[in-house]
Amino acid sequence: MIHLKVTNLHKRFGGNHVLKGVNFEVNGPELIGLIGPNGAGKTTLTNILDGAIKPTSGTVYLAEQRIDQLQPYEVALAGLGRTFQVTRSFRRMTVLENLYVPALAMGGKLGSKALIEKAMSVLEFLTIDHLRNEFAQALSGGQQKLLELGRLLMLEPDVIILDEPFAGVHPRLMEVIYAYIQRVNGEGKAIIIISHQMDSIFSLSQRLLVLNFGDLIADGPPDEVKNDPAVIEAYLGSDEEDAA
Amino acid sequence: MKKQIPNIAGGLVLILLLIFPLIYRQADYDYIMHVMITAFFYAILAASWSMLAGYAGQFSFGHMGFMAIGAYTTALVCHYFYLSPEPTGLCSEMPFFGQWLVVVNPIGVTSTTLTQDCLRQAMEAWGGSVKVTPMPVLLGIVLGISFGALAGFLIGMLVLRLRAAYLALFTLGFSEILKATISAEIEVTRGQAGLELPPLYPDGVSFFGMHFSATDKIPPYYSMLGLLILCLLILGWLAHSKFGLFVRALREDQDAAAALGVNTTRYKVLVFTITCAMAAAAGAVQGHYVQIITPNMLFLLQMSLVVAMAVIGGIENFVAAAIGAIVLQVMLELLRNSFEIGGVEVDMTIWRLVFFGVLLMVTLRFFRNGLIAPIIAYFGREGVAAETVSKRAVASGEEGRS
Repeated sequence: MIHLKVTNLHKRFGGNHVLKGVNFEVNGPELIGLIGPNGAGKTTLTNILDGAIKPTSGTVYLAEQRIDQLQPYEVALAGLGRTFQVTRSFRRMTVLENLYVPALAMGGKLGSKALIEKAMSVLEFLTIDHLRNEFAQALSGGQQKLLELGRLLMLEPDVIILDEPFAGVHPRLMEVIYAYIQRVNGEGKAIIIISHQMDSIFSLSQRLLVLNFGDLIADGPPDEVKNDPAVIEAYLGSDEEDAA
Repeated sequence: MKKQIPNIAGGLVLILLLIFPLIYRQADYDYIMHVMITAFFYAILAASWSMLAGYAGQFSFGHMGFMAIGAYTTALVCHYFYLSPEPTGLCSEMPFFGQWLVVVNPIGVTSTTLTQDCLRQAMEAWGGSVKVTPMPVLLGIVLGISFGALAGFLIGMLVLRLRAAYLALFTLGFSEILKATISAEIEVTRGQAGLELPPLYPDGVSFFGMHFSATDKIPPYYSMLGLLILCLLILGWLAHSKFGLFVRALREDQDAAAALGVNTTRYKVLVFTITCAMAAAAGAVQGHYVQIITPNMLFLLQMSLVVAMAVIGGIENFVAAAIGAIVLQVMLELLRNSFEIGGVEVDMTIWRLVFFGVLLMVTLRFFRNGLIAPIIAYFGREGVAAETVSKRAVASGEEGRS
């Protein structure tokens, strides 16, 4: 049973209080949207969840294991995987080699039939199997996003954080990403999507988390969050601000 | 078939190198053999640096420092440690498996070295009745490799958080500190006067009924070539294993690799340890071959030479880096011959360096992965583009029908 528990998470960078006591839980294979204006703390929260930075205070537990003090690779092996806002494929490695890295880190055997078959099935699903022996730098931006998603399929984490998966992607590739999210979620994985594309977020998510200036101002079903006055104010500004 | 061309060519070159000392019969035999042994030495350094910088992205400029650690370790072991059946009563000594391990006192650089060190004084007093045994050269080399690996491990731990220019400057600093320390500790290292080492095979070598003396070129030729082949085999095995994949991921994006479960700390330290051990091995063997080492081996120019050799060969392929080193070392020597054009003498001892510099600049500007690596890649990646196009066409056809 997937259980991610974030408790009273604070992060300060000098005088900048980026996260101000964030609390939420993920129970089971939920499909969650994480939204918020620029500077809300979404990327900081993601970086703390994946171990890249340590919180000033607060805890993160994944299936009873405290992960907020672990190294990123330990967090990945514990079952939390992520993509990056700006695609970070291994550019001078082939597409297949990109997929082998997480699989081998999880204990796979290089050159084994099982590993090759798994990588090929991932590439076929992502419609980039014809590029398997090309270097990642030869791929388009959208294809590189698919490659990043493919690496997560090889890592097989329980919780997946997708940072801006739809940014700069052709509508046809977006369909592939939609299918990916639904397939992975259907396989029992929890997914947290960070995006500024509201249409996609509202249509995909079962639950929305809204951050604003480091505060979690809303947590609930999309329809409910959409009409939340605090969320409307965060995105559109208050009448007083408009008057000013 | 095309994919096998580099392997076939490599096999032929290897055979040629193996039989070269037996078929070359010119008057400059010893000189050419010396050039080849030195070329193999640089090839080990360039290939191991290629794994460190080209594969793992760790641009260390301290590689010659680790080479020097290997050379000085074996030199110090062979210079200061002896086994004696009797205690000298003059030196620092301790019982050692039924004998005495004697540590000779450091006396620095003096005109009367032979009569001042404690062991020589004891031997004079014994009048030849006690036979003192120096440490085996092989032990010195093994210790040199071990200390090189240990230093690589420690430096690897220290530079975990350093990247790019910071890493380069840190390792350069390490190398300079080492050079200054060796130069300053004249008492122990004899500073710029240099530390003498016994030959690689002090008693010569006999095989197939032939005896080669301690100064013969054939034993060190095959020793250095053997070490190069061993290093290339280890590097090849590493490059085609999980290790190779992980260190390349480290080079491409350390954070992304960590986010995918790669223990970046472990692999960064491992690649430093392994490649520094190889550099130390090359230094130790070369030290016994040339029989004298000085801190000048740590000059920045020496490190630049190794970097240039690897860059011109191709730093993302350790075989290309090794070939680059051999070709350049041989060319730099062959280009020493000055000649005249229209009565004007062209002094090639200087102009060859200009040629070398221009070649380096052209390579950096137009051939970012060197001159040899792209040739190997051309054959190795044969058919990849055609495969992509044909698979794409099949996929498009299927989409069109559906």
